Amino acid sequence: MMRAEPWQSAEVCGPTKAQGIKKTAVVGALIKKAKYPLLVVGAQALTEKTRKKSMIDYFIEFSTTHNIPIVATANTIKAFKEKGFDNAYSYGAMEITGRLQDHEWKVAPKKGPHDLVMTFGFPYYMEWLMLSALINFSPHIKTVTLGRYYQPHATWSFPNLKKQNWNDALKEILTPVGGAK
Amino acid sequence: MKVEFALTEQKRARLKADKLDTGFGSFRNVEVTIGKVVDDDWDEPMGPTPMPDVTMLRSWDHKLLTRYRPAYMPACQLCCLCTFGKCDLTSGKRGACGLDIEGQSARIVLAAANIGCAAHLAHSRHMVDHMIHEFGPRFELTQGDGVEIEAPVTRLVTGIRPRTLEEASAVLDYCETQLTHTLSAVHTGQEGSWIDFESKAFHVGMVDQVGMEIADLAQISTLGFPQSDPEAPLVEAGISSMDPKKAMILAIGHNVVPATYIMDYASETGVADKIDIGGICCTAWDIARYDAKAKIVGPISWQLRFVRSGFADVVVVDEQCIRTDIVEHAKKVHSPVIATCDKSAMGLPDRTDDDVDDIVQDLVSGKIAGVYLRDHAKIGEVVVKTAIKMHPKRKKKGSLPSKAKIKELAQACRQCSECIRACPNNQPVMDAVLAAQEGNLGPLADVYDECIGCARCESACPNDYELHSWMVKAAEGRWKQESFMVRSGRGAIKDTEIRTVGQPIVFGEIPGVIAHVGCANYPDGGRAIHDHAEEFAKRRFIVVFSGCAAMTVGTIKDDEGKSIYERRPGTFDAGSVLNVGSCVANSHIAGAAIKIASIFAKRNLRGNYEEIADYIHNRVGAVGISWGAMSQKAASIAAGFWRLGVPVIVGPHGTKYRRMLLGRADKAEDWMVWDARTGDRVQVAAGPEHLFYAVENFEEMMVMTAKLAIRPNDTAKGRSIKLSHYIDLHETYMGYFPEDIHTYIRRETDIPITLKAKIHAQMKENKWKEKPIPDPTLVRRLVYGGKGGGE
Ligand code: SF4
Ligand code: SF4
Ligand code: SF4
Repeated sequence: MMRAEPWQSAEVCGPTKAQGIKKTAVVGALIKKAKYPLLVVGAQALTEKTRKKSMIDYFIEFSTTHNIPIVATANTIKAFKEKGFDNAYSYGAMEITGRLQDHEWKVAPKKGPHDLVMTFGFPYYMEWLMLSALINFSPHIKTVTLGRYYQPHATWSFPNLKKQNWNDALKEILTPVGGAK
Repeated sequence: MKVEFALTEQKRARLKADKLDTGFGSFRNVEVTIGKVVDDDWDEPMGPTPMPDVTMLRSWDHKLLTRYRPAYMPACQLCCLCTFGKCDLTSGKRGACGLDIEGQSARIVLAAANIGCAAHLAHSRHMVDHMIHEFGPRFELTQGDGVEIEAPVTRLVTGIRPRTLEEASAVLDYCETQLTHTLSAVHTGQEGSWIDFESKAFHVGMVDQVGMEIADLAQISTLGFPQSDPEAPLVEAGISSMDPKKAMILAIGHNVVPATYIMDYASETGVADKIDIGGICCTAWDIARYDAKAKIVGPISWQLRFVRSGFADVVVVDEQCIRTDIVEHAKKVHSPVIATCDKSAMGLPDRTDDDVDDIVQDLVSGKIAGVYLRDHAKIGEVVVKTAIKMHPKRKKKGSLPSKAKIKELAQACRQCSECIRACPNNQPVMDAVLAAQEGNLGPLADVYDECIGCARCESACPNDYELHSWMVKAAEGRWKQESFMVRSGRGAIKDTEIRTVGQPIVFGEIPGVIAHVGCANYPDGGRAIHDHAEEFAKRRFIVVFSGCAAMTVGTIKDDEGKSIYERRPGTFDAGSVLNVGSCVANSHIAGAAIKIASIFAKRNLRGNYEEIADYIHNRVGAVGISWGAMSQKAASIAAGFWRLGVPVIVGPHGTKYRRMLLGRADKAEDWMVWDARTGDRVQVAAGPEHLFYAVENFEEMMVMTAKLAIRPNDTAKGRSIKLSHYIDLHETYMGYFPEDIHTYIRRETDIPITLKAKIHAQMKENKWKEKPIPDPTLVRRLVYGGKGGGE
């Protein structure tokens, strides 16, 4: 396991920084505790794979297992739609970053607001800024980034991981803590 | 309202009004000194806000900022601007001066816009002062035949119609005053609220457009540039357009003046055929506008690769966007550097007062790496003489490492990933180096294709590998062939062109005007710009370019080897692709929008900013795009568009401007306008939905562009055309029929005929009701017949 320091070395942040996820059970516990979690998936999910599985398939499984809606940004939505997955909503990355600052807003009519947001699939610097918006202006939201690289502005982030370790971590968090919700 | 002009004893113009009744209220004893001269034979009535001060248009800004709320993404949660600090602004904490993170974030936006405006304005000031020195204060300004409204932005903002260099100088006096005020607002303990920082950023963006317009007007008028010429010449561009048999001079930056002295000296002394001058960044555009034989090497991102290639016998830098370590890089390939601008003396010795031959001797012998020269005539002579003497000497000097050397050096790679971690685009540099260990330089060449030339990878490498040079070497076969045709900057848009397209644009039948501006900080190469322009030109949008983007779009060729400029006309018309010129020429794009209001709608321009901005915002489907926005200048350019109500899209690196201006389509109350005919409050669809937006990728840019071209005033035909494009692009890139179409349908006639069934179904599902089509305005005083009031 590599160190919990920004992947792009200049992207240091302020006095608080993300806790490194040492055990994947942390993610399971956060999901279990959350009232209305949300998964925000960017376009790198279209090209990334975990082992042989496309990240789109992975997130469909993740969403279904944990019963978490997905916001798919840019053209990522197309891939979800093509697979017949209907729990994905289309917003731009900047749009969803803006909306999540509105404490009233939620992706679908349910008791809100979102209190846990998980992110994946953006250029590193872009996700860094999106998470900065949330840490500064959405104190009601905890954030978890599911990418390989440490994101200091998240509440929880993997440290910079080797691909193999990241694959293992992703697999582990597919299993709900204490059974499906 | 009674407005008077008078000449003061110092020949300054004074605008005086005993009582000025405006939509902003009534002002008594208004008096503004505007410079040295006055236009007393222009019969257009003066509008309510000539030369607005920092807060005069504040209520207009607040209207926009209430609809398009800033969404901040701080790059730093601390402030260290004064000795009270550092202050920790996390979790709602305030700094010692009382500022919170929102205020500080907005302050950074204003700081960036101030810096950008200052760069353009100082350039403009230098240009105008220099031309006054050369040609005299009464030299007449012109944009060429077919242009009566020569400086629409300046007329709109200041109420002045600059006809001479002296009048242009007076306009700059105003701009400089405003910049001083907006800059001062950044000081500790001045402005405190985000909305007023933002308003000031809009103000300085507006001032920036004036400064840019004056700079381009001055150079177009004095230097023989194309004047509003849709058929400005096609010129050769790319590294291979430079002739290695000649002494090569590379000019980098934005201010063409020094380079004109080089070209003039060469022709006056009969050595023009011995030298080849090429430019990088906007100086490239302007040397080619000055002399079509000058070469355009490429955008800003190519400066290091060209310097490293070792071709340049002399490197000349003027101002803006030059590499600040250029002397170090040029020294390695024995290219002397001549710094020509007071903003960027680069630590070089000032040899202005020395004998030319002594300076040349010191440069050619390598005794000094470069010089700073303040005298333009001397620059011309020193550069030409040095280049000609250096040329035979330098031919013997190798510059890039050999492929064998790269393979040998690569063996010691520590696989530390530092190069990747330093790369703004996360390029797989390390993997490419590992492939080079095996003698395979293909991956390094692939990195070159998407590289922005920043050299951060090599400055991070613990082995001190010159990684960028390795890429340049690996891709040698490609860039040595790099040659493409671009259209020289045409300058302003003719009034006659506006007469033809004004109505179809305002009615929406020409679905939009797209302005590609700015720098080369691309996330994955520049192809996206070309593909975007081609697609929208095909869809009968008008596509206008300026700056580095205007070069990048030309690099992509079709099957017949033709660039987009060879395929498409340069007129301001549906389906055309135009190049207005260098960065300062992008002011002509705002100028075109302003002229639509004046020529087609016959609205008065003079000192009438709010009304015209309101007109453009509600009627002209213009969208600014900067796929590779990098600089603070790009920030101030964007701010100028924001104040005009024109939405701006930036590429993913544009997130680093750290603040978006986002509309909320889901909040009906945000989309209320006045119907100027009836005085009623009317809800319109969310168009344009956002005012500043960073897209994640090309696909999102395609869809967002079509969507942001929608305006409340579209006629039924115009709306249905715009919706067809939006739907089609959405289906292509997002893979499904957009779910918000019903919100854009006001009447049955808005529905694109071929999509009737689908849209009807959506309307039914959403309980659609017919909506009025207002004569939309955000400004209550503009309701006809006095039904509106102040607001
Ligand atoms: S300017 Fe204000 S926030 Fe910044 S360091 Fe000074 S006191 Fe702190
Ligand atoms: S020079 Fe190119 S490869 Fe190196 S860090 Fe910059 S963009 Fe990346
Ligand atoms: S930084 Fe240098 S040593 Fe480290 S992986 Fe990259 S090329 Fe190799």
